[in-house]
Amino acid sequence: MVSSPLGYSKTEVNGKLVIGVGDLLVSNDPEALLVTYALGSCIGVTIYDPVAKVGGLLHFMLPSADLNKEKAAANPAMFGDTGIPMLFQTCYEKGAKKERLIVCAAGGAEVLSDDGHFKIGSRNRTLVRKIFWKNNILIAGDDTGGSNSRTLSLRMADGTTVVRTQGKERGLWSA
Amino acid sequence: MVGMNEVLDGISELAAFPQTVLKVTSMLSSGKGSAAEIEQVARNDEALSMSILRWANSVRYGHPGRTFTLREGIARLGSSVLLKIVLEQKTAGMFASAGTAYDLQRGALWRSAVGGAIAAESIARSACFDSPDLAFLCALLRDIGKLAFDAHFGPEYISLVVRHTRPDRTFVEAEREAFGFDHAGLGAELAARWNLPDRIAGAIRFHHDPPASAPAHDVLVDIVHAADIISLWAGLAIGCDGMQYKLAQHVRIGLALDRAAAEQLVAGMWDKLRETEAVMAPYTEQGAAI
Repeated sequence: MVSSPLGYSKTEVNGKLVIGVGDLLVSNDPEALLVTYALGSCIGVTIYDPVAKVGGLLHFMLPSADLNKEKAAANPAMFGDTGIPMLFQTCYEKGAKKERLIVCAAGGAEVLSDDGHFKIGSRNRTLVRKIFWKNNILIAGDDTGGSNSRTLSLRMADGTTVVRTQGKERGLWSA
Repeated sequence: MVGMNEVLDGISELAAFPQTVLKVTSMLSSGKGSAAEIEQVARNDEALSMSILRWANSVRYGHPGRTFTLREGIARLGSSVLLKIVLEQKTAGMFASAGTAYDLQRGALWRSAVGGAIAAESIARSACFDSPDLAFLCALLRDIGKLAFDAHFGPEYISLVVRHTRPDRTFVEAEREAFGFDHAGLGAELAARWNLPDRIAGAIRFHHDPPASAPAHDVLVDIVHAADIISLWAGLAIGCDGMQYKLAQHVRIGLALDRAAAEQLVAGMWDKLRETEAVMAPYTEQGAAI
């Protein structure tokens, strides 16, 4: 079973469940492959419980819901500090346990000339580390920073998490 | 090395610009776009009429329990909204199936075009620019050069250009190394072939390298340039070019773009983009993969 707490329609392309920008998806379907494309300054977070075989993928855009509480209420997955808790909570509801969760992150790139004025990718990366540090969660696999686009995928059968950058794949976590 | 004309000569599917858009563009450029004129254009175009009806009866513009006719819808939406509907609907076909060259999913280029256009209009209003609609149009068309590269090279494009990328080099610099010209210049040439006004072609040509000083400086170009960067931060059409672009300092200062303003633009764009996608779904279904 696959569920989106935000209720957006999910696109299935070539057997992949595609998660768009500002969206998240949680699944316990062992046949499912969750994928998000075009991670730039946005960050993709995957979590997976290898015992319950429950996992999910979040693609958030901006670090903090303080920017606009109304938008955050309507779409928590737009922001890291509301999307990440929602991703975890939705997995818990399907039987995942915090102590078993494997967490990976990818994205957080910057445009070339950001002389410290915006740092959206960097602030997204900081937010991810801060939330996980405060909650005693270690990041098992991380591919963040730089200026390249990334594609992140999570295979629900075994939790294999892969990031693809400029045509090259790299495993972030595998059993 | 292939030349710009060689690329443009070989792409028959981009040889003609939609006549409806050309009419609307001309209305915009002359500042004479009125609801009556647009109604006349819409009545001769069934797909466009359907699009107007969908918007007029949408959550944002409709009225619960009431269905508006085309004439009522046109009056209700107003000329500025109508212009955008024409532009979005008529360019969807051009953008929807392209993107392979830049390693993008189908529909990603159209989504980026519309997202950038929405951001450009917002920036133009904040900056009190006299024609937010023109900014919308220029941002919508800013990456038509990518369509041309896509149509000419297809998947081969990536291998030709990626070998010229460097961590400290912008992607347009890599394109110039690879081909002798970049997608912005190619887009401007295509705009000229379509007989679009010079100012629009200029906005397309310089949307990655906006001139900082007079006489070449144009606020319109600054706005389109900023909107392009906003659309990157929003995660739109980030393909093999990644985030390898620069925001010009004079644009950041001139448009008073700080972190809070940029993030508000990113967040605000998405609401409007999702609404547009919902209404435009019949025209972009094949490209709605991301």
